[in-house]
Amino acid sequence: MSVGASNPEYVNARVRSRRASLFADEDYRKLIRMGPSGIARFMEESEYEREINELGARFSGVDLIEYALNRNLAKHFHDLLDWSNGQLYDLISRYLRKFDVWNLKTIIRGIYTETDPEEIRTDLIMAGELEEATIDRVLEVDTIEDAIEVLNRTIYYEPLSDAYEEFEETGALVPLENALDREFYEHLLDDLSRGPAAEPQEGPEAKYVEFLQAEIDFRNARNALRLARSGADLDPASYYIEGGVLFDESELNRLVNDYDALVDHIGENKRYGKRLSGAMDRLRNADSLIQFEHALDAALLEYADTLSSIYPASVSAVLSYILAKEREVENIRAIARGREVGLEESEIEEELVIL
Amino acid sequence: MAIENVPELAELALQAEEMSGPTLENEGAAALAVGLAALAAGYAERGIGAAAVGAIAEDDDMFVPGLIMTVLPETLVILALVVVFVV
Repeated sequence: MSVGASNPEYVNARVRSRRASLFADEDYRKLIRMGPSGIARFMEESEYEREINELGARFSGVDLIEYALNRNLAKHFHDLLDWSNGQLYDLISRYLRKFDVWNLKTIIRGIYTETDPEEIRTDLIMAGELEEATIDRVLEVDTIEDAIEVLNRTIYYEPLSDAYEEFEETGALVPLENALDREFYEHLLDDLSRGPAAEPQEGPEAKYVEFLQAEIDFRNARNALRLARSGADLDPASYYIEGGVLFDESELNRLVNDYDALVDHIGENKRYGKRLSGAMDRLRNADSLIQFEHALDAALLEYADTLSSIYPASVSAVLSYILAKEREVENIRAIARGREVGLEESEIEEELVIL
Repeated sequence: MAIENVPELAELALQAEEMSGPTLENEGAAALAVGLAALAAGYAERGIGAAAVGAIAEDDDMFVPGLIMTVLPETLVILALVVVFVV
């Protein structure tokens, strides 16, 4: 918890300026036609100059691009936390915990597969709230149980220790990862919304809640579609994240078994139906889940943009920047990886999230 | 206090009011208006200044536009200053 007055004006001005310097859609088209070294050179002439130069001696090719992207992402998001004060800091840090969750998942997987700590470290994105010292200590331990013990006094300790028993029984990492994800999403709405009836009705906070609900809903929808599509015999309740408005738990349990009803349910929702109509059509016809997921990402990004123009001096602009930056990093990574394995240009284009 | 004294007391109070003028003279009120306007301008500049410094930190070319935007609310005070000449 941070004290002091919140300073949305300052943070917004800086964030909007950085938002403007992100790659445009034409840049992606240019990048698609380049090889990994071309992409690295293009990045060197842009935002990513410093990272490329720092890492250029140690890595090359796609690895260089990937690590430069991660490092740049971490730098920018760390800046956000540096600039903000008061309530704004709380809201941003809460959202950036997503990277803590990502890091912890990576570390747990690394420990599980007995990977060298140094190698795990290169895959981490230091943009979260956990301190680097804590992450270092988690990296040093040899068993998952010890790792959880190190996280004592963080918010992840309890859910992880609960999930650990299940992990011991089944030997699968899924319960631990779900525990982390749920901890993240369920904290997002802390002290902003007390249940569906007591949400703020108007003002910037209402929009913030709306945006987070959209994110939770999309996450639920994605998981439900994946479950329904794969026909895996898993308990949908263990994937369900509370706080959304699209499904409640019993609805989800019922719908997972009936794919068409699930698609209809998402399409008929008042809040998202219209916004996702294009994506829904594609989902029904082409039955490509990847396309639909990209459409969800694009819809979420557009949603964040709309919110940031409704309340210019609120946290919305920061959220929309975070999403846009993540999208950029993912797109560049997809292009680089796609070129590496020799995908066609049109195939790579399908992998990108372009508005 | 005895009830008989009340009329005399009221008379005394009335006399006191006749002797002194209004609590706030015109000049005083005008000064107050300018002061309040300056306070409001300061409050407006707080937000704009913070945003301007943020923009300048990202891009040095924003210095001049930032400066101009920051002092715009100062017009509030200038307009309020008119009141001083009117009274």
